[in-house]
Amino acid sequence: MSNINGKVYAMNAITPMKPWKTWILRLIFFVLGHVKPLQKDLIDLSFIEFARWVVVPRSGLPFLDNGQVKEELKYDYLLFFSNFNGTWNQYIDAFSAVLSRGLNLVWRWSEKFPGSVPVTLFKEYIARVQFDTDYYYTAYPHATANDVKSAHIVQASLDKLSQLAEKSDPQQFADAYLRFVLQVQTHLGETSDAPVAG
Amino acid sequence: MPNNNGSVYGLTILSPIIDDAKATPSHDLQIRNYLAKLSTREDSPFALAPGTHLARLVVMDDVVFVGAPSCEEHLKSKYLIFESNLDGDLDSYLSGLAATIPDHLNAIWKHCVGYPGAANRQAFIDYMKACQLETTFFFAAVNNKSVSETLRALQTQTAVADFIASHQGANPAKLQRDFIQFVAKLKSLPLPKPGSMGPHREIKTGGRNE
Repeated sequence: MSNINGKVYAMNAITPMKPWKTWILRLIFFVLGHVKPLQKDLIDLSFIEFARWVVVPRSGLPFLDNGQVKEELKYDYLLFFSNFNGTWNQYIDAFSAVLSRGLNLVWRWSEKFPGSVPVTLFKEYIARVQFDTDYYYTAYPHATANDVKSAHIVQASLDKLSQLAEKSDPQQFADAYLRFVLQVQTHLGETSDAPVAG
Repeated sequence: MPNNNGSVYGLTILSPIIDDAKATPSHDLQIRNYLAKLSTREDSPFALAPGTHLARLVVMDDVVFVGAPSCEEHLKSKYLIFESNLDGDLDSYLSGLAATIPDHLNAIWKHCVGYPGAANRQAFIDYMKACQLETTFFFAAVNNKSVSETLRALQTQTAVADFIASHQGANPAKLQRDFIQFVAKLKSLPLPKPGSMGPHREIKTGGRNE
């Protein structure tokens, strides 16, 4: 079992929902997906690489016959998968502090959800509904979400400067280079092994 | 479509695991044993096959009972969850997996109900799609870059930091000459291998992140 690979943590959670409530949640996700400004807090958290919510209707689990027994569930289920940087505690704390309204909007339809504030009860609930990852792969284990964003900014700036380098005189290039350095200087952090989390 | 965010695709697959009381160890445990020994670095199956940003495999034993007054219920099957964040189109991705890592796929999914094997490409794709769940909401911090573009950018980021550090105060003519050479050299470098920790660099600040 490993929930961690390099600088990324894989979280899996499953919560039961009364079927009539899942339609409200689907509507909320539909709006969230189509009104980008509503995703601002999620983007601003900046330590989530990828995350997804999957609503599984009570009769919606894959059924392939071949001797498989059909499920008979009363609840629909909400599956949550997240790939984030940092420790479990940092993640839940930040989620609770920054996204409490958003989290409540998503999980209040799940049975026994206590609310995301106070954080102690919220952590207890997450710990109860979380399950561990057996295998976790990332193509860039040494990089965080911010590293990836920064690296693409550096790459784009470098591509622009390299187009100019061939056709400018040395002084013009030096001026452009200075502007380039100012542009990328806050995006040059080193990537390497993850720090040891105590 | 909720499975897509920009050019990234969020794949969620739940494959029912064979429930056979006579199997020793049980099929779910055999999957777990195999996954426990599988590399997560540059020789990972997902590093060898194209297009995976991040992926996980999880054996889900059961649903969770959150306490009264909610009802307690249980699954009749265990499920293998395959969650992948991938480049582009699903058919090409699944086809790439079947072509590159068929032995790993077979070793893992042979414990699942109705798995046809990876040799018959179309049957494999059909099976995976039959086990797919549609993502309701998919978030990607960077949604318009491929795995290769990201690996290249991370390599560039490190090299640019070194170039800037070593060219402080350089005169314009030398700066321009060296920069042109630097960019040419950078373009000729092989792409870093997916799954690798990148070049080893001394961390200059010590201490534990507590």
